[in-house]
Amino acid sequence: MQRDVGSLPLAPALRARLVAAGFQTAQELLETGPCGLSKEIGISKEEALEALQVVRQECHGDAARSAGASGATRKCTALQLLEEEQAQGFIITFCSALDNILGGGVQLTKITEVCGAPGVGKTQLCMQLAVDVQIPECFGGVAGEAVFIDTEGSFMVDRVVDIATACVQHCQLIAEAHQEEDHLKALETFSLESILSHIYYFRCRDYIELLAQVYLLPDFLSEHSKVRLVVVDGIAFPFRHDFEDLSLRTRLLNGLAQQLIIIANDHKSAVVLTNQMTTRIGQSQSTLVPALGESWGHAATVRLIFHWDNSQRLATLYKSPSQKESTIPYRITSHGFRDVQPPAVSQNAEGTEMNPCKRPRREEEK
Amino acid sequence: MVVLRAGLCPGLTEEMIQLLRANGIRTVVDFVSSDLEEVAQKCSLSYKALVAVRRVLLAQFSAFPANGADLYEELKSSTAILPTGSPSLDQLLDSGLYTGEVAELMGAPGSGKTQVCLGIAASVSLGLKQHVLFLDSTGGFTASRLYQMLQARAEDKEEQASSSGAGPAAALQRIQVVRVFDIYEMLSALQELRDRLSQQVVSSMGPLKIVVIDSVSAVIYPLLGGKQSEGLAVMMQLARELKTLAREFSLAVVVTNQVTRDSSTGPLKPALGRSWSFVPSTRLLLESTEASWEKATTQRLASLVKSPRQPTGIQVELDIG
Repeated sequence: MQRDVGSLPLAPALRARLVAAGFQTAQELLETGPCGLSKEIGISKEEALEALQVVRQECHGDAARSAGASGATRKCTALQLLEEEQAQGFIITFCSALDNILGGGVQLTKITEVCGAPGVGKTQLCMQLAVDVQIPECFGGVAGEAVFIDTEGSFMVDRVVDIATACVQHCQLIAEAHQEEDHLKALETFSLESILSHIYYFRCRDYIELLAQVYLLPDFLSEHSKVRLVVVDGIAFPFRHDFEDLSLRTRLLNGLAQQLIIIANDHKSAVVLTNQMTTRIGQSQSTLVPALGESWGHAATVRLIFHWDNSQRLATLYKSPSQKESTIPYRITSHGFRDVQPPAVSQNAEGTEMNPCKRPRREEEK
Repeated sequence: MVVLRAGLCPGLTEEMIQLLRANGIRTVVDFVSSDLEEVAQKCSLSYKALVAVRRVLLAQFSAFPANGADLYEELKSSTAILPTGSPSLDQLLDSGLYTGEVAELMGAPGSGKTQVCLGIAASVSLGLKQHVLFLDSTGGFTASRLYQMLQARAEDKEEQASSSGAGPAAALQRIQVVRVFDIYEMLSALQELRDRLSQQVVSSMGPLKIVVIDSVSAVIYPLLGGKQSEGLAVMMQLARELKTLAREFSLAVVVTNQVTRDSSTGPLKPALGRSWSFVPSTRLLLESTEASWEKATTQRLASLVKSPRQPTGIQVELDIG
């Protein structure tokens, strides 16, 4: 295996010295041995030994890969991927229109970003998803646990209690209608206490804590292997204020995005991020665009933009690798995230069904 | 700047190397450019042995000039033009993707780069029955969307019959997907490919003609910028790897890149800076025909920004639906 020295993951100063001393391939490094290496470049024997261990690991990784051990290296044909995807579940949002435009719900192993103006319902969706991911498989869920990383402090436990109670009632109704054995068995474990105890909550106050939390997440996830959802509520907030060096911000955000996609892929979980909106002042008009700049737009695989149209909340699917762009209305009730009811059914109930925690947003006379 | 080692060529023994080193000759360049008679006297080595070693080293390490006419003939026989599956895009690229070259697709998020890459993979796999290597670094590869595209294409050509080699399922098997989320993983995947191709291992890979990388900027961005020059070095390492693959094995390489702005109101420009702009020989910019995200559409505008064959500035409309 003729790995080039420049492409090995060593410290840059060490790499520069190796190239200056004339080493070109990894094979040459391994042949020299630690004593010879430390003499040639002028580093201590321990450093030489460490460097050689890294090189050996890389080369043996290559050898194992070429021998056909494709389990750990994420290599497969598109046909295998298709089968995997078709067997994968979705996390439903309880709003069937939104599930439809997403192709079934929030997809596992992908990063979904939700952008919106303040008060439009991003945190509500996150809390709904944290409950929905725990729905047992016989009811159509993925039976997983959730990690909720909060940077804005907008996670309200009593709201989650409302959403969870509504979800459990919904499942009980289904179980009564169908009267199947596994439904009733699943309902025994699917209760308010179990839902709340399976949401792991982390509070990060600034960007350093957020970065540390995300980099430590793989260890946490390998202990709690049932986690199927990671929510970061407010990825824009710690990065938007108090950041002078914009190029550093871009680098950190991109590193964060890559780390999140690795987590999503390795642990088969969905990652949901919420982002804020900012105004871009064009030549003749100003538009609302998602915050954190152009390069952040590439981090998420699926992008949803929530916005208002008079008093109706709308969700637009802006970026998706498999679904078409479309817009649907939704609303937020005391039970959580729901579809807009067709107008014939509950005109009167609309007023009382409004979310009690939010200032009601209606026209003058309703 | 290769250091002299014992196994480098027959006749170069360890004692010889020690003697040479004692006289200040450490690398191949030193050896080849020194006066062998002097060296033979100073190191008390046989002149004949030194000349033999020098001949082997020159044969191994020097570059040989080639005739322009020979190069042209070789190019004519080894270059293939791969259709992208979309006639308007082929028109933009002067009838398709040329092997031996690196082409770049750039665009804002949601502009359709992944869709075009999937379309190219589908067209090459189904139409030409060649193998495709897809390196995915963003997690945007959705096999179900690829299957949808293959089915639509197969319906057009009426090849739904499951004869061996034709049909969407067989086409899916010819597309190999590797998920790399780190620059070093990407480099090792590319070098592994190079080893396999140079050893001509006929495995499940089959005749590979195109490598699609989506996206290159996602893995390099975390390293660029600031005071560290390491990012630039690794980026150039990747560039060299891609060009070597394209040129030596007659592959077409397609990469996707992001766009950034200088300030919040400046014009869009391709990411990764000026150094990367010399790497691809063809560059396409994808944009949405609507200015803002409020109006959803599947129409896209593709413009040619850099090309060795066509005048730049040509634009075509694409439908990625």
